[in-house]
Amino acid sequence: MRFATPLIAGALLAALFNAPAPSLAQAPAAQPAAPSVPRPTLDAVRARGHLECGVHLGLPGFSFADNTGNWTGIDVDLCRAIAAAIFGDATKVRYTPTSVQQRWAVLTSNQVDLLSRNSTITFSRDVTLGLDFVGINFYEGQTFIVRRASGVNSVRQMDGATICVAAGSTEERQVQDYFQENNMRLTVINFQRNEDAVAAYDAERCDAYTAGLGALAGQRQRLRAPDQHVILQETISNDPQGPVVRQGDAHWGDLVRWVLNGMIAAEAFGITSQNVEQQRASSRNAEVRRMLGAEGNFGQMLGLSNDWLFNAIKQVGNYGESFERTVGMQSPLRLERGRNQLWLRGGILFTPPFQ
Amino acid sequence: MSKRTGLSRYLFDRRVLDAVTQVAVVGGLCALIWYFVSNASDQLVRGGIASGFDFLWRSSGVDVPVKLIPHANASSYANLLLVGVLNTLLVSAIGIVIATVLGFAIGIARLSRNWLLARLCGAFIEFVRNIPLLFFVLAWYFVIVNMLPPLRQSLSPGAGIFLNNRGLYIPWPDQPSRFLAVPAAFLAGAVVFWLVRRWAAARRARTGRGFPVGTVGGILMLGLPLAAALGAGAASVWDVPVRGGFNFRGGIVLIPEFVAIVVALATYTAGFIAEIVRGGILAVSKGQIEAAQALGLKHGEILRLIVVPQAMRAIVPPLTSQYLNLIKNSSFGAFIAFPETVSVFLGSTLTQTGQAIEIAAITLAIYLAISLAVSALMNWYNRFVAIPTR
Repeated sequence: MRFATPLIAGALLAALFNAPAPSLAQAPAAQPAAPSVPRPTLDAVRARGHLECGVHLGLPGFSFADNTGNWTGIDVDLCRAIAAAIFGDATKVRYTPTSVQQRWAVLTSNQVDLLSRNSTITFSRDVTLGLDFVGINFYEGQTFIVRRASGVNSVRQMDGATICVAAGSTEERQVQDYFQENNMRLTVINFQRNEDAVAAYDAERCDAYTAGLGALAGQRQRLRAPDQHVILQETISNDPQGPVVRQGDAHWGDLVRWVLNGMIAAEAFGITSQNVEQQRASSRNAEVRRMLGAEGNFGQMLGLSNDWLFNAIKQVGNYGESFERTVGMQSPLRLERGRNQLWLRGGILFTPPFQ
Repeated sequence: MSKRTGLSRYLFDRRVLDAVTQVAVVGGLCALIWYFVSNASDQLVRGGIASGFDFLWRSSGVDVPVKLIPHANASSYANLLLVGVLNTLLVSAIGIVIATVLGFAIGIARLSRNWLLARLCGAFIEFVRNIPLLFFVLAWYFVIVNMLPPLRQSLSPGAGIFLNNRGLYIPWPDQPSRFLAVPAAFLAGAVVFWLVRRWAAARRARTGRGFPVGTVGGILMLGLPLAAALGAGAASVWDVPVRGGFNFRGGIVLIPEFVAIVVALATYTAGFIAEIVRGGILAVSKGQIEAAQALGLKHGEILRLIVVPQAMRAIVPPLTSQYLNLIKNSSFGAFIAFPETVSVFLGSTLTQTGQAIEIAAITLAIYLAISLAVSALMNWYNRFVAIPTR
């Protein structure tokens, strides 16, 4: 059982007061190679010997700990890829499960190096919370899970419905905006924890539970009778989700952004965990050679070794491999790639060039 | 020994030393607070985190199912906070009334000579006092939601009343203000009762004859309000709940989140109050009761005139702490989606705006204000039950 909210708030207050500023954590002259760029977060991660990654409390497919404490999921894979890029070892990560309410405070008080927990990028979060969203690893869209017996197959049929939601999520606001815009009535029951909201929906307290399409596919696995529920395929929002870092360490933001870009680019170039060694040795594509460290010194420019992306892809795989293994057809969630497909194949995933 | 002179006289003066120490402690405390505040604001500026109280007037985008004042999702965060505070006060007030009645009943029954009753009450007290409240709240909630039938199989005892796991739906009058006649009738009854009692006491002093004060009081204070309620009910047009597509429409609904938090708080706190009541009664010395018996007072009179007034003296101060606990514990409602202060403000508002320091400070101030007000009220009441001293 987790702490009560007042305790969390108290701890959070204390954390805000006591946390050393990111720039204070900087170890002077740790990286003499590039003294001009301060790298406080990378230096702290190196000194600590592992990456601290804030993840979801438990969302199958995204970040979920199995009964042996082994974390898997597409968000977890990003943490592992970053650890592989820094240490050459994808296992050097410690995961901190965070609730919807805690997550920003856990990040801004330096308890984690980044959040990778299906958090939607929004204007006010980016502008007022002291956060930087550095990429998109999942294009999510908000929808609803309803009981098959209810006969509902469109959001427009839900006038007057009671809907369970997690308090403080983007979904909490979006569902109310959407219903108001379409002149429909609803009752929102907002829980502090996703799992309580899901449990209340499962007990028929609500007609629907709302979250992202991908998140619902994961949460459906945890209902008493998953096949008696349907996830509506239409979405009422556009929720790009991705890793979040603290404002103020531009270098760390670059590092996280380019590890993610590297995973997506690797899929576009056909680099997989299986063929990455062969690609490094014999690819004739200059961009691939730069990415994998066969040419140039891109890794060093980030303060890493030149085989940073090689290690990440070797140990974690490219974006497509990660997607299929965690949320795609090889997983219980069986999500289509949809918009999360490469731009080459009709999706909207895109990465700038490695030049 | 020569008398100390000049500076040394002040140095060794107890009052001067005390003053210096106090100034040093207060100064140190202020410096510490200043350090924390400046550190935090520094941190906010460096981290690019917004601060200030402007967010209170922005639209919250959040609506809640229980509200005592008008609120829609276009209303401001300040209005949302007010909704939450009123809900906190509502569950606290109802919880305190039920907990007090239940606590007194169980505490007295615990002292009963009936073996079964005393043991049952003892078992209840030990049970609730020894489990964590969060578990208790969640258990009540999920028991209610899982045990009551779903919407399709709603129970209905007739008269437009429906019960399912979304709540208890009851008809609601078009003008609830008509029912203000009920408390008015009660007050009128109480005033008349007070006059009758004075008259009866004066007559007894004069003639020695008794008067059935209790029966007359019962008729005045229960019968009059009942008649007023029936009258107001007959005059009203009732909005009866009807089954709509997803829910019942019309009427008013008592949602399970509300019932669960009130029941959990009341039963939990009743366990503690029962022990306080038992302690208070046992604190009245046995000699007092024997003396009262020797004077020929009846059992009821002994309780009313001798035991209760002296027991209250021991009961009221710890009872105040239990009331304060109950008010603070109402924040556990956040875990079962009851929209009280912590849920709407430390939950929804905090995650949407991210202004942790301001929001935590406002929430602390609100709980502090409520607690101090309740303490003041209980201290005022305590002056009446305390033994008058000269």
